[in-house]
Amino acid sequence: MVAEAPTRKEALLSGSNLERVLRAGHFAVTAELGPPQSAEADVIREKAEYLKGTCDAVNITDNQTAIVRMSSIGAGTLVLAAGLEPVIQMTCRDRNRLAIQADLLGAYALGMNNLLCLSGDHQRFGNHPTAKNVYDIDSVQLIQMVAEMRDEKVFQCGDAFDGQEPRFFVGAAAAPFADPVEYRPYRLAKKVAAGADFFQTQLIYDVPAFAGYMEKVRELGLHEKSFILAGVGPLKSPGMARYMVNNVPGLLVPDELIERMTEAGAEWAGKSKDELTPEDKKARAAAWKAEGIQICIELIEQIREIEGVAGVHIMAIEWEEAVRPIVEGANLLPRPTFEEASA
Amino acid sequence: MKRVQELLAEIGLEPERVEMFNMSAAMAATFVEAATEMNQRIENLGPNPLRVPQTAGKGA
Amino acid sequence: MIVGEQKPLDEIKGLIGDAENVLVMGCGTCVTVCFAGGAREAATVATSLRMSTKLDGAPKQITEATVQRQCEWEYLEEVSAAVEGADAVVSLGCGVGVQAIAEKFTDAWVVPGLNTSFMGIPVEQGVWEERCAACGECVLGITAGICPIARCSKSLLNGPCGGSEDGHCEVDPETPCAWQLIHDRLNHMDRLEVLMNPQPPKNWKASRDGGPRRIVRDDLRRAAEQEE
Repeated sequence: MVAEAPTRKEALLSGSNLERVLRAGHFAVTAELGPPQSAEADVIREKAEYLKGTCDAVNITDNQTAIVRMSSIGAGTLVLAAGLEPVIQMTCRDRNRLAIQADLLGAYALGMNNLLCLSGDHQRFGNHPTAKNVYDIDSVQLIQMVAEMRDEKVFQCGDAFDGQEPRFFVGAAAAPFADPVEYRPYRLAKKVAAGADFFQTQLIYDVPAFAGYMEKVRELGLHEKSFILAGVGPLKSPGMARYMVNNVPGLLVPDELIERMTEAGAEWAGKSKDELTPEDKKARAAAWKAEGIQICIELIEQIREIEGVAGVHIMAIEWEEAVRPIVEGANLLPRPTFEEASA
Repeated sequence: MKRVQELLAEIGLEPERVEMFNMSAAMAATFVEAATEMNQRIENLGPNPLRVPQTAGKGA
Repeated sequence: MIVGEQKPLDEIKGLIGDAENVLVMGCGTCVTVCFAGGAREAATVATSLRMSTKLDGAPKQITEATVQRQCEWEYLEEVSAAVEGADAVVSLGCGVGVQAIAEKFTDAWVVPGLNTSFMGIPVEQGVWEERCAACGECVLGITAGICPIARCSKSLLNGPCGGSEDGHCEVDPETPCAWQLIHDRLNHMDRLEVLMNPQPPKNWKASRDGGPRRIVRDDLRRAAEQEE
């Protein structure tokens, strides 16, 4: 499906399952697993169970929305043990270049080999708004640093590794509709130049707008130098859709989709909160969720048709159970497996 | 004017002790009304605690 | 200029504690022009303290003085007697002024009457905004004269992040996104290519991260020696 591409796409850089799936030309599927705000290992095991067999790798968020949670690498260890491949998320908000490199050496030693490099949500939004942020380096510099750790076998300071270097499949985020919109394809190019192997985009609901972005990306030849996974996610309710439109920068949800969600709950419309029995509310939530999953499946089918899209990244926030029906509905099961081979 | 009222409150005096009224020289009735109001207000608040020989303490 | 903001009166009173003779000292430079700690503000603070401590039933002896620059020892000479006669000095200078007083007068108990906010610019009457973070290695030459270190909430050198909307930072809708400004200005100057190359990690050693900073100019030192 993916055309034979030059440069980065040829040699196996990390040997991760995700990298193999992409290089073999399969339409990749990644999902997301949010660690708990506690030291409860079973939460991770339970979520991993839902996701097992549905995706090629699963992102483990790093203090997402600046709320303290179990660390990405800690949770990643549990995910690995559960038989899933993690994508470690690493933000520049909480660690300087020393801590990032040290943690990545540890992560690689523990068997993790996918990394998503992020600048990180500002702490203003989290549960420790009086904290000091770090931002010693930014996401582009982080990409460059880990790519050089792998390819040049050096630390950021230039010192060579004495022993095994960490070999990560280096990912980055892309926000196709964030401001300034006209700069976004060039920002992707900048991250490719810095060494990004793959991208996971912000949630896409507006397929034509995303197709326009991808056209520009193809003009720049970026789809041949990196793998682009489109971010998708099931809507839970019309309210959630409206909330995201109003509160999440760079997110477009077409009215038509909000209308479909509203329509799914039409049976219960016009009734006040008090008139709805708990059973009503349950039935309405189920109807919304079913429609949300259906929309997500259709989005994947449409996005898959866009040239240069190498896979999807499914973000079912605190709704990991939704991933299987989505992947199943989009005919993306079973996920490819590989013989245990040397990298 | 708002700043002066804030200052008074910070110091520990009632901010309503100061007020600015806008009017022209010809508006006698308005002037009388304002003067009466301020007079009434001050009487209710009592004398400036800073001018009373023995201070009565904060929030007098 | 250095921009400061006066501390609440109650906090200043707490810092003074039981000192009887208090000197309120204004500064005639930066904090005068940002209306936070000049002669006028020193008079207001002194009067407020006089009235307030009297209301509390324990009136203090409050005096006031303003020097041209609290941050240079020679300007502090002229207030030596006043400082030495006071049990406490409330400095309305920036943090540099407070420390200059403490360094010059071994026995003076000096407390800050201001919070030193930032280095910035008045953008309209009564509104100041940060412009410089004194990072020690100026990047304005590659960012179209707009500082991302001081003005981007994440101090990104390769911005913008995905969090700006309609040209504003996600952290505060009143704050313009520095990288939107940089992008727009580079676009206006027809120099957008500057944004295409990844900027390497910054040398924070030149900033506060390298420890307290010091500049030594040998040419000036030699000139001073020759004069002596």
